[in-house]
Amino acid sequence: MRRKKVCFVGYGSTEYSRKSESPLLWYYAEAIRNALRQTGLHKKEIQGLSITTQVSPDYSPHVAEQLGLEVDWVLNGDYGGSGGVMSVRRAADAIEAGHVELIVLVGANSFDKSVPQQRLLEYQRANYIDVYGYGGPNTLMALIQRLHMEQYGTTLDQIGKIAMAQRENALNNPQALFREPMGFQAYLNSRMISDPIRLLDCVMPCSGAECVILASEEKAKKITDKLVYLVTDAEKSHYQVANMLPDKTTFGTKVVGERIFTEVKRENIDLFEIYDDYPIAVMIQIEDLGYCKKGEGGKFVEAHDLTYKGDFPVNTGGGQLSVGQAGLAGGFLHLVEALRQLRGEAEGHQVKKAERALVTGIGWLNYGRNLGTTSALVMERRK
Amino acid sequence: MAEASLPKKSLPKINKVDEAYWQGAAAGKLLLQKCKDCGKLQFFPRIVCVDCFSGNLEWIPASGGGKVHSFSWVRVPRNPAFKEDVPICYINVILDEGVIMESRLVGTGIENVKLGDKVKVAFQETANPEIKLPVFELAE
Repeated sequence: MRRKKVCFVGYGSTEYSRKSESPLLWYYAEAIRNALRQTGLHKKEIQGLSITTQVSPDYSPHVAEQLGLEVDWVLNGDYGGSGGVMSVRRAADAIEAGHVELIVLVGANSFDKSVPQQRLLEYQRANYIDVYGYGGPNTLMALIQRLHMEQYGTTLDQIGKIAMAQRENALNNPQALFREPMGFQAYLNSRMISDPIRLLDCVMPCSGAECVILASEEKAKKITDKLVYLVTDAEKSHYQVANMLPDKTTFGTKVVGERIFTEVKRENIDLFEIYDDYPIAVMIQIEDLGYCKKGEGGKFVEAHDLTYKGDFPVNTGGGQLSVGQAGLAGGFLHLVEALRQLRGEAEGHQVKKAERALVTGIGWLNYGRNLGTTSALVMERRK
Repeated sequence: MAEASLPKKSLPKINKVDEAYWQGAAAGKLLLQKCKDCGKLQFFPRIVCVDCFSGNLEWIPASGGGKVHSFSWVRVPRNPAFKEDVPICYINVILDEGVIMESRLVGTGIENVKLGDKVKVAFQETANPEIKLPVFELAE
């Protein structure tokens, strides 16, 4: 294949030393800084980041947070010695597809023994969050839910409605770990985990896996007559990272929604598979996708039927809240459920008109803000 | 044998990036980073300025004052060693300097904490005599 319009515009190196114990983060930053100096670019022009390393810190979104980078594309080029070329290939794909115009790629090593193989998440969480006895992500989301309730008057009835509608969607889903109906009293009285987050606001971690296969249109037509097209997709990582007075109740999903809905109309989506680590996160994503104003998510869910039979079907198989969260396969659960729906294979919980689905992802609760990674895509069944 | 397997309360893994912050805390000072090139104030401690990417950062003492931005009463801590402290009042504070910080509210009267309450930093002792944790108490 031949690339058409992707260019290398600059580079940056650091000094090398036999045994330096300067932090790996310093090495990332210094190499990038040298490249920025050479090109005259400002840090805020960086739209994408790829990191390649075999020592901690090695989660690409966490490095982005550490470097204060709010980016629209992020990659861990974990391909060993092939990491340079292979991350360039993936970065070039993103640029050619028109997702971003400028990507910084960096590989680094350090012998810093002060962070022995600890995941980067542990820098900000271990040192500035965990030390206070927090309750994990349950606490970080609880802070957001409290703000949403106090700033906008959102009620537990409204939040609970999301959990209950998803449970109803799970009743006929054989994969779901939770298939007993959930009433409001059961939701309200479920064990308090991190006030105001209750047990029935939380997902059940479980084992499991989900897989999807993508193909070119030409190849796809030879495989299936159930053609589901990827229509549009967008992402935003570490929204508000450099804002020391962030709005915790607005996710990067806001930017994602603005991009998605330049390609499709909101009213043309038939069903919504919204990443549901917590019901409040579902509500906030509905707001941020622009289906209602910020703060009106509670009124919105009151006014709509979120079950698979309803006018705004959400998490039609029950979502992670009722099916279970198989770790990071959770982000795939919604993709697979959307595919089932569009292919007419969601027996027992099939949305009647299922031509176009919106699927979201959110991940990595970050420091002082909300979700470090946010994303969405639209898929469409074409006959 | 059983002793070795009991969980311990989480302590920071002090490293080269945030050594100075923890030295400050041990001496009863809450330190923020300030960029010498663009003046940005930031927290948590990083290797770069989040606005201009400079590596020229200095530590400045914060006033220690702030307001409760949000809170959650933790009933199930991630680390079971904290069970004896439950319920824990976990908070986000907006420091007077205009910077958000994650922490914990301790001391008297915290059962009635409300959003916007004024707070003042305090330094909590830990199992390691060289490490103190910046926490917050309600201020008048």
